[in-house]
Amino acid sequence: MLIWIDRHWTLFTLTVLSLSLVWIGLTAAQSIPTTQGQTPAPRPGFKAPAFSLTTLTGEEVSLDAYHGKVVILNIWTTWCAFCETEMPAFQNAFEAFNPLNDVVILAVNSTVQDDPAAVAQFIARKGLQFAIPLDSDGRVTHQYQVRALPTTFFIDRQGIIRDIVVGGPLTTAMIQSRAADLLSQEP
Amino acid sequence: MFPILQIGPLALQAPGLLLILGVWFGLTTAERYAARLKSASNPIYNLVLLGLLAGIVGARLAYAVQYRTIFLADPLSLVSLTPTMLNGEAGLTAGVLVALISANRKALPLWPTLDTLAVGLSIFFIAWHLANFASGNAFGAPTRLPWAVDLWGEQRHPVQLYEMAAAIGIAILLLPRNNTPVLPGITFWSWVALSALARLLFELFRGDSTTLIWNLHSAQLFAWLAAGIALWQIGLIRKRNRPPTPLHPDI
Repeated sequence: MLIWIDRHWTLFTLTVLSLSLVWIGLTAAQSIPTTQGQTPAPRPGFKAPAFSLTTLTGEEVSLDAYHGKVVILNIWTTWCAFCETEMPAFQNAFEAFNPLNDVVILAVNSTVQDDPAAVAQFIARKGLQFAIPLDSDGRVTHQYQVRALPTTFFIDRQGIIRDIVVGGPLTTAMIQSRAADLLSQEP
Repeated sequence: MFPILQIGPLALQAPGLLLILGVWFGLTTAERYAARLKSASNPIYNLVLLGLLAGIVGARLAYAVQYRTIFLADPLSLVSLTPTMLNGEAGLTAGVLVALISANRKALPLWPTLDTLAVGLSIFFIAWHLANFASGNAFGAPTRLPWAVDLWGEQRHPVQLYEMAAAIGIAILLLPRNNTPVLPGITFWSWVALSALARLLFELFRGDSTTLIWNLHSAQLFAWLAAGIALWQIGLIRKRNRPPTPLHPDI
């Protein structure tokens, strides 16, 4: 066989390329429609899993309510050093984007592994003005398959996750550039 | 999927770790086989590291230029350790350009250098596919097969493992054997052809394909083109190096 290939290289090349073309045609015919954008999953290209949580003041925050806006979803705790370091960057981004009313920052506290009293102190100490919903039963932390803190999800206007950053600390420039990128896309 | 390796209080990102290991194993293997492929190992080691460094710097600078108003307001972000503020295409271009310029200045022979790099790349791509399996990237299409993996809300083909198996096969085929002379350029073009054909084959099982007209997968079309060029080049190298036909004894 190898000797035949060696002697008839051009014929071998043409055979390989012809068979490849047949395979490409068959693949196109059996193409499986992608479920990305419709299937909820915590990864880029998939629909952000829906959730509804309450803040310390009892205000209800639902992800669905922000459809049509860019959402920056940060999952954090008070005892996580990187979470604390990056919070001022989120506050800066909030101040930069707030007048536009097109970018929403949701800093979901993974309260299942934290303490609401510590969260209240943290918010006051850092002067945070954006929404901080409490994930008291850990449902959102589990839904978003958070394996390291902090984890940040950048969600576009259609509710599709476009980027995930595991770990931190994020900088103001990073948050603003990612949000600007999503804002520039068609609503 | 195993994106994070928790070692005590330390949370390591498994995909990143696998990629670093892949670069190291790839370079070590390339170094080991450099002499048999008629190239020197040290310049190739330096070439890859220089290319990687230039790639990272180029990717960050291009990202900063893209979002210049943000970076002008916060210039220290330019040296931030966040690995996501990178422009991939610009990084690749910068890395390849700097490597090419460096190879040219050091007068490295083209084909033996590319052959040695191909051996390293064949090893690196084993780690690449495993890193994709760890992160859940380059995921498979939904299936009901018994070996399907539960990923992103559905049972899917573990296509990263199929591709990893193909990469192992390609690496085994490409590693130079003792006493088997290989024409310069053949190892590199063989790697291109085999990798392209593997991508062409496994694209059916991927769930993240992009399609063009008539449902044709763009990755398959590029792979077909790459395989065609590589097979044609192999043919040319073999033709150029064929021993001349001896004259008939009667003439």
